[in-house]
Order: sequence, then structure tokens, then C-alpha cells
Amino acid sequence: MDVLLSEEEQMVKNLAREFLEAECTPALVREMELDELGYPPSLWQQMANLGWFGMALPETHEGQGLPLTYLGIILEEVGRAIAPVPFHSTMVAALTIVSDGSEEQKREVLPKVAAGELILTWAFTERNPKYLPETIHTEAKKDGGDYVITGAKLFVDNFNVAEKCLVVCRTSPESSSSKGISLFMVDTLSQGITHTPLVTIAKDKQSKVTFDQVRVPAANMIGELDQGWPIVENMLDRGTALLCAQMVGAARKDAELGIEYAKGRVAFGRPIGSFQSIQHMCADMTIWVDGGQMLTFEALWKMDQGLPASIEVSQAKSFCNEKCEAAVRSSQVIHGGIGFMMEFDLHLWFRRVSAWSMRMGTSFEHRARIAQMLIDQPGRVRLGMPLTPVA
Amino acid sequence: MDTAPREKIEMDFGYSPEQEALRDEVRQFIDDYVTDEVQDEIENWGEGGRGPLVRELYKIIAERKWVGITWPKEYGGQEGNRLDQYIVEEEFSRVGISVGGAGSGAPAILAAGTDEQKKEFLPGLLKGEITLALGFTEPQAGADLAGLQCRAVKDGDDFVINGQKMYTSSAHYASHIYLMARTDPDAPRHRGISIFLIPMDTPGITVRPLWTIQSDPRAPSKTTYGQQRTNETFFEDVRVPRSCMLGEENQGWYVGAMGLNLDRVGASRYLISVRRDEDIINYIKETEFDGDSPAQDPAVRDKLAELWIEAQVCRLMTMRSMSLVNRDVNFTYEGSAEKVWAPEHGVRTTETITQILGPYAQLLHGSDEAIEDGLFAHNVMGAFQSGINHGSVQVMRDQVARRGLGMPRG
Repeated sequence: MDVLLSEEEQMVKNLAREFLEAECTPALVREMELDELGYPPSLWQQMANLGWFGMALPETHEGQGLPLTYLGIILEEVGRAIAPVPFHSTMVAALTIVSDGSEEQKREVLPKVAAGELILTWAFTERNPKYLPETIHTEAKKDGGDYVITGAKLFVDNFNVAEKCLVVCRTSPESSSSKGISLFMVDTLSQGITHTPLVTIAKDKQSKVTFDQVRVPAANMIGELDQGWPIVENMLDRGTALLCAQMVGAARKDAELGIEYAKGRVAFGRPIGSFQSIQHMCADMTIWVDGGQMLTFEALWKMDQGLPASIEVSQAKSFCNEKCEAAVRSSQVIHGGIGFMMEFDLHLWFRRVSAWSMRMGTSFEHRARIAQMLIDQPGRVRLGMPLTPVA
Repeated sequence: MDTAPREKIEMDFGYSPEQEALRDEVRQFIDDYVTDEVQDEIENWGEGGRGPLVRELYKIIAERKWVGITWPKEYGGQEGNRLDQYIVEEEFSRVGISVGGAGSGAPAILAAGTDEQKKEFLPGLLKGEITLALGFTEPQAGADLAGLQCRAVKDGDDFVINGQKMYTSSAHYASHIYLMARTDPDAPRHRGISIFLIPMDTPGITVRPLWTIQSDPRAPSKTTYGQQRTNETFFEDVRVPRSCMLGEENQGWYVGAMGLNLDRVGASRYLISVRRDEDIINYIKETEFDGDSPAQDPAVRDKLAELWIEAQVCRLMTMRSMSLVNRDVNFTYEGSAEKVWAPEHGVRTTETITQILGPYAQLLHGSDEAIEDGLFAHNVMGAFQSGINHGSVQVMRDQVARRGLGMPRG
């Protein structure tokens, strides 16, 4: 047990921070909000050269095989810099191929991901935004050696620039069951796909994607037919934990901006940071972000160890949703009117942390999942001891 | 995929196999030794302190080398891992037996004591033969401890002490008092204070009981701040030799702070803040009122999950503190942060429980229809105490802001 960063982790973190502080300025973030692609290919390539995309991929496929906590640290720094890059969606999909893809799929995808030559995304949510199997209605029907996909997905990250998308489909009609779900890797330029950009608080690139009889070779299925739900659940858990890392990084930076502002801003003849009411807000902001950070890295560590981590993921996301949001809102409050102004940079962080709190599971959803594991099973609970998941 | 074991290069949220074995060993010991009679004694041992069965047990625990694990070998320790000590503390705390830390006095003696003092106190603290009452707070000096007025005046080779200490909780059974007194009234407040270790049987010391709101009826032993009794302790011309002083003259503020920082973290502080989370969940899992269970109420489920997450943050903050201590790194703000989050969490849980159980949550120990022997009702009266003593949450927030974040003084 040592929950602090190891020497190696600290080094990786410092290097990532230095690099992003130099290369990813608020000006770049603003520029990308208006950009059609939404990311700067040169920065993307630099990140690939630093080895960030291959960090958590296996050494057998051009990766470095480092623990998942390392990727978490990088995403935390990417969040801190609110770097406008399709990193999260690419990693979520790539790690699913690592855990559940065929050897051929791995060979096709992973080396290119590591080299920064392949952007990926994934599509789960439909009309009902909950992360439950019964919300999946997009259908994949067998037709010879292909599957034909029809349906619509919402809130798909970076679809505009991704080359491939992992699409969660129903392959068997049992509509309220976790059986009958399959996962397909789909070329985003396939015939029958249309996508419409959504305008979000974060001004990031999310799309509504419709699939009209989109033909996919059966070889693009990830995992077994109808057995996709556990794969999808793991994908969502990993994605959620990595998103928490991003949130924690962004909220930390945003809180620091508030704290520094309070030290310098003079009112009533003294820096407002000398007032206890402001100091106590800043103390709480720090405590909240610390809490989210530790919950997040415990979840990532458990996943990396191959231990059940669903409850840890839900703990992290529920806490980050509310506490990171509270931290960045407090920072806005400390800044007063200026934080509300477009020309001032603070909102770049505030809007992103807010948006991320709404994605990959609301606090209520995650707490419902925790409550189920906590309350609906026989036996006594004890903190620090694992809860067995409900079958 | 490459399955060769890799070198450990990342943070670690788990216990080692040796530590898991230690936990199992301690649990087995508790099963074997903490009998119904022992538990009955813990529950019913009146005003605090240890009864004969627990005192006996404590000797066996010390023989097993489960106390002072991190201490130097020459004083009975093993120079071991702080997490090992934490594991032992947690398991024993859960059955109402406090081991390991020996309060804030031991760390201060280790850090600032003379060789003679270490030899005099540490082995005795390990075996439970020496216990220290904390003599810091005064009627006019609580959160603002540096304003204390208890005087120690040099007289030849002695000091003569006059003054009053408040909330000296174990003074009626402790062997010594760990006392903070003013030795230089003309120096700036923090620089005129010294610390003394004084036998309680020294002439001129009087202990008067102060009864808490937990005293009638008495609280179950698991209650957060369920103590029935604390004390005020009076010093009237108490003459002690200079050898009673711990650390340098007028450096007592800094000596005391070393211990207090470690007093704010660890298994016992963690557990008093989170045990009601476990208790209420375990209770409602097996409870229904006329076929209706709070376990099925969506509002209750959401709230309990929220509190459970908060409790995990308490646990992780404790693990962070233990990790820092293990690395020999001083806290900047981490101990203070933990001392804000954990006690306030304990209060949130305690008050939520009252709204889950409604009128049943009023019922005190011994009442007809009382739930869990009145534990939840007594907890309402005690939980907030955890946010007051050893540094109030307000003072702790000041410290996070000023020491941790470098914010200016007002």
C-alpha cells in the first residue's frame, strides 16, 4: 500500500505537464472550438511520438505495456490542459480491442493507434441515455458473411475524425436482457452512415450518428455473437474511470486558477484570499479534487490488477460529477463577474468539467449501481473489503 | 500477451500477502481472546479506562509485538511499516480496544525526548503500563491553544506549575499527564510554551469529573464520542524537576504539534467517522417495519450510496496519510484535510440515519424499542465532537488554505 505516485509515475506526470503547458495553450483550445476537425493534427502526432497512445497497449503490438495508472496520469494532464484531442475515445476503443479483440483485429488496429495514425471512437447511447443493455435498439442482422446495422446513436465522441467506431448493437431481440448484445468495429465512412454534429457546453465534437443498412463483415465483430454485454460493460467502466482522470486534472487546474486569483485580487483593502470565507472555499475545493483523484486512481489500479472494479468506478464518477463540478463552480464564484466573460479563460475549464459530469453515467445511475451491490446482497458490508457483485 | 511479472513501478492500493496474513492473524487472535466476558467488560467498564481483563489482554497484545511496530528496536519497536501498525489498530479498534498509537504523546516523545525519557516512557506505553492524559486545552484556550495560561515557573532546578486544564479525558486513570504550559510569558505566544510529562500522583494535582451528555444513560461503547466522563484538572503549586520537560524549553508548541498531527489521522479517527456507514447498511439489510424496509426506498438507497462513497474518501485519505508517514514525508495539509473531511462525513451519516429511522433514532441505551442498543441516538450527541477536538474543522480549513495553498493571513 502506497497510494502516492511512484517516482516513475511522478516523472511521467511532470514531463506530460511540461509538454502540454508549452504546446497546448488556452489560445489553441479556443481555436479548436471553432475548428472543423476540432483537434490539431500536429499536436496529435507529437503526443504519439511521446509514446502516450501506446503506453497502455501491449508490447506485442507496438505498445509499452505500462500499468493503466500511467494512462490515467496522462489523461489527468490532458484534462488539466483541456487538450482538444480525440485521445479518450481512441483509448476507450483501443483498450477494448486489447481485452476482447481477435489477434487479427489487434494487429490491424493497435500498432496504428500507437503510431497516432488511427483515431477511434465508440457508440453506445441511444434515445434513453442510461447505461443499461435494454436501451440498445440498434440492430445488427446477419446477412451472408456480413451483418447489416440499422439504428441511431447519440453523443458519439469525435465521430467526425474517427476512422473506426465500436458500435454496440442488438443481435437478438430479447429486449430487456443483457444477452443479445454484440459489438462491431465499423468504418465510419461506410455507406449508409450519416452524422450530425451536436452543439455542447464543452464545444467539443459529438455527433448523432444514424446507421441505415450499414454492411459490416462478420470478422469485425468483437467477441462472441450475443455475448457482448460484459465486453461493453468493461469498456464503459474503463472509459468512465479514464474520463474521471480527465475531470480531476481539469478541475484541479480550475481550482488552482481560483486560488491564485484570490491571492491577487484586492477588495475591501486586502486580497480576498485572506478572508476565511474564501480560504475555506479553497480548502474544500482542494479536498474535493483530492478525493476524486484518489477514488479514480484506486479504480484504475484495481482494473489494472484484474480485480473487480465496477463499484470503484461508480464511486469515482459519482463523486467527481458532483465534487469536481462544485470545485469549478466555486472557482467561478471566487472570480466574480470576470469568470462569466468570454474573453477570460476560466470558462474553458468550467464548461468542460460540467459537460464531462453529464457523460458516462450520472451520479444517480452510479449510486444506484453501488446501492445494488451494497444493499441487495446477503452478508455484512465492511469498508476496505470487497463487495461481491450481484449476479 | 506478455504475462511476465513486471517490476513494481506504480502506486499501490492493496495490501501485501504478508499484511493480509497479519490481518488474519489479528482477527484470529480477536476471535480467540476477545471473549464475551471481555466484550462485556469493555461495554460496562463505567467511566473509561481499561478493566482488568482488557489490561491483561493488552499485555498479551504487546508480547505479540503488535504495538509500536514502527518504533525503534531499542525501545521495544520493530522499525516496521506504518501500514502493519494500521492493520492491527483497525482490527482492535473494531472491537473497542485501542492499540498502537499510544495517543499523541508517544510520537512526540520519540521525536523530542531525551534518551532517559524514551527509556522511561516508551516501553511502558507499549505494555499499557503508562498512559498519558492530554493536558493542552484550557477554559480560555481551545481552538486558540497558543493562548494558554497555565504557568510553569522556574525555581532552581524545578518548575512550579499553576493553572487549569480542561477536557483531560483520561486524567482519572492515566499514570501521567502530557502537559503544555507557559514558561515565558514575555515571549511571543507560540515561543513561550513548554511541554512536561508529569506523574498524576504528584502533589498539587486535582482531578474533577465533568460529565458529558452521554452519561445518563451511558452510550454504547461503539458510539462516536460516547465517553461519559471527561475532567478538569487543577494544578496548585505542583513542583516537578526539570527532567520532566519534553524537548527544549519554550519549544513546546512545536513538540506538541508533531504529536497532534499524527493524532488527527490513523485507524481510530477513520473508524469513528465511518463505522455508522457500515452499521446502518448492515442494519437495514436485515430490517423491515411491517414488511416495509428502508432498504427498498430509492431515496434512502441513493443517500446511503453517496455516504458510502464519502466513507471511501475517508479511507483513502487515511491511506494517503499512512503512505506519507511511511515515506517519512511531513504533512503539509493532508492531515488537516483528512480532519475536515472525515468528521464532517461522520456527522452527515449520523444525521442521515436519523432521517432513515425517524422516531426510533431518538431512543437511547436501555430504552424499550431502542435500535442497536441506542447506538444511533447516542451518535447524534457525539458525532460532531470529532469535528471539534484535536483541531476544529474550521482551524483545519485555515491550515489547508494557509499551509497547503499558501493563502495569506487575514
